[in-house]
Amino acid sequence: MVEQNQQQSLLGRAFVYSALVLGAVYFLIPLFVMLITSVKTLDDIRTGSLISWPDQITFEAWSAAWTSACIGVDCGGLKGYFWNSISMVVPAVAISTLIGAFNGYVLTKWRFRGSDIFFAMLLIGCFIPFQVVLLPMARTLGFLGLAGTIPGLILVHVIYGLAFTTLFFRNFYVSVPDELVKAARIDGAGFFTIFFRILLPISGPIIVVSVIWQFTQIWNDFLFGVVYSAGDKQPITVALNNLVNTSTGVKQYNVDMAAAIIAALPTLLVYFVAGKYFVRGLTAGSVKG
Amino acid sequence: MSGLKIDNIQKRFGDVHVLKGIDIEIDEGDFLILVGPSGCGKSTLLHMIAGLESVTSGTISIGQRDVTHLNPKDRDIAMVFQSYALYPNMTVRQNISFGLSIRKVPESEQEEIVQRVAEMLQIGPLLDRKPSQLSGGQRQRVAMGRALARKPSIFLFDEPLSNLDAKLRVEMRTEIKELHNRLGTTMVYVTHDQIEAMTLGQRIAIMKDGVIQQFGSPQEIYDEPVNQFVAGFIGSPSMNFIPCPVVKQDNQLSIELDNETGKFYLPIDGKNAELESWVGKTIILGLRPEKITHDIASHADNQGIHRANCRVGIVEPTGPDTLVFIELNNTKTVCRVDPSEAKNTGENIDLMFDLTKAVFFEPETGERVC
Repeated sequence: MVEQNQQQSLLGRAFVYSALVLGAVYFLIPLFVMLITSVKTLDDIRTGSLISWPDQITFEAWSAAWTSACIGVDCGGLKGYFWNSISMVVPAVAISTLIGAFNGYVLTKWRFRGSDIFFAMLLIGCFIPFQVVLLPMARTLGFLGLAGTIPGLILVHVIYGLAFTTLFFRNFYVSVPDELVKAARIDGAGFFTIFFRILLPISGPIIVVSVIWQFTQIWNDFLFGVVYSAGDKQPITVALNNLVNTSTGVKQYNVDMAAAIIAALPTLLVYFVAGKYFVRGLTAGSVKG
Repeated sequence: MSGLKIDNIQKRFGDVHVLKGIDIEIDEGDFLILVGPSGCGKSTLLHMIAGLESVTSGTISIGQRDVTHLNPKDRDIAMVFQSYALYPNMTVRQNISFGLSIRKVPESEQEEIVQRVAEMLQIGPLLDRKPSQLSGGQRQRVAMGRALARKPSIFLFDEPLSNLDAKLRVEMRTEIKELHNRLGTTMVYVTHDQIEAMTLGQRIAIMKDGVIQQFGSPQEIYDEPVNQFVAGFIGSPSMNFIPCPVVKQDNQLSIELDNETGKFYLPIDGKNAELESWVGKTIILGLRPEKITHDIASHADNQGIHRANCRVGIVEPTGPDTLVFIELNNTKTVCRVDPSEAKNTGENIDLMFDLTKAVFFEPETGERVC
């Protein structure tokens, strides 16, 4: 009886693990192909198969993608666009997170008449497809004189991200006891003091969630980037597309792959560094202590 | 002067009338308890005194100052919350000095105050810890320390002990009382626990449905409850409420009681005038458990004390006393009996009924008759 149970559980375990391994392989193979292709020479790519090991490992494709690949007529690599993306993402993430935190604070600790309706309407913002706002937003950016600029893109991403960041922070602050705010009010703290000295310092987990979410969304965005920016002000996602589609002579698969990995690195990095806190923040029901 | 005066306070949340005209006045240094079942409005009232909740109508004065519309920080109050509400991101020291630093008290003075408070509450070794590293009792102390730091003219307590285990609760209760004796500051304390109310309070306001049922000293409220709600709320085990017919027996005004052992009559002395008109009707007798005891020979000749033999139902030993349940007029009645005198279930016991402190209530309204 006992033996039979053991055998059964062993069988089940084997099944679970093989399913997991299969799944992992399925997801990792494309990455593997990208990686090995990016370190092959063009000859190697032509003669070998998709998954064959490179004859000779070279990082020329990487440096080409970074500094000299042709994007349209401009052959300067991804470097400039990478910095475009950074200078767009960092302020956009910071601003949308901060405003989201502030919104969440007001919606939970300083409720006003209609604050629930306000929140519900804000939530709809999470479900509005990008395409719907393209034209009105273009008009707005033009009106503000921000069309085709990085500040314009920042504005678009901040507005679009607010619905999400507000949702995150609102749900986090709901679980923070109101008595904390009351105690601070009796201690003499005002509206902003309470936010900056009590609420914000305990928001670590949800700040991480908001930052990862926003960073990934904004960094990976293509549509807004392609619509609202032009020329050398485009984010890296748009530049990557242009790089791959630029057809002069031989298709340089190794450079394309290297460029794609470069474009994906920052989000991977953010996830590796803070991923642990991401899960923790998402599941944080309450503040301990 | 830092007494507290609450004048005809009303509170509505939309259509819900939470407080229906509260009047309370206490002197400086008094310990006021607001007690009542949940939903009676006691916490709302405390929050209004603190300024955390707006007032629909009426005025609140602290000392001679009308504070009805002042911000909490301008009321010169400090408050201890049920959940302690310690700032999780700050150390104990920072928690205590937060209010001081916001009020721009010089740093050296802050440190002095923190030391004084820490010494008073014996939390010196905890000063550099975070609240998450403290036990429930320690958090409670820190919360009190935070309130003490500012030397306010009134302390407000919002069920501060209800999150502690039973033993710690009793200890902290004593400490709060000692603190009050030492500081002599006016304190307002909200609780749903009638024992806390009795032990701590100098003045107790018993609330129900947004109305103060009775306002008085603990003993007044215990001995002379104004209605059946107050009588039942204060005291543990609760007062017995026995519906009994009022009769004339041997030309003596009496109440008729019926036990499995038979009917018996207890004469009412001293309250004839009020009860004369009740002859032939049923009235509610309120008698505390400790007024129905085993037969104590030395009490036998006292006025107003009567013997009766009753059948024992359930028996609950508590240690110092044993609670014996008997049926009187089909109502379960608790008697407090010496453990050595208690009988077992189904046996008969001689009980002594002391009617000198008996109270009578109108059956319909629950109002006190006499």
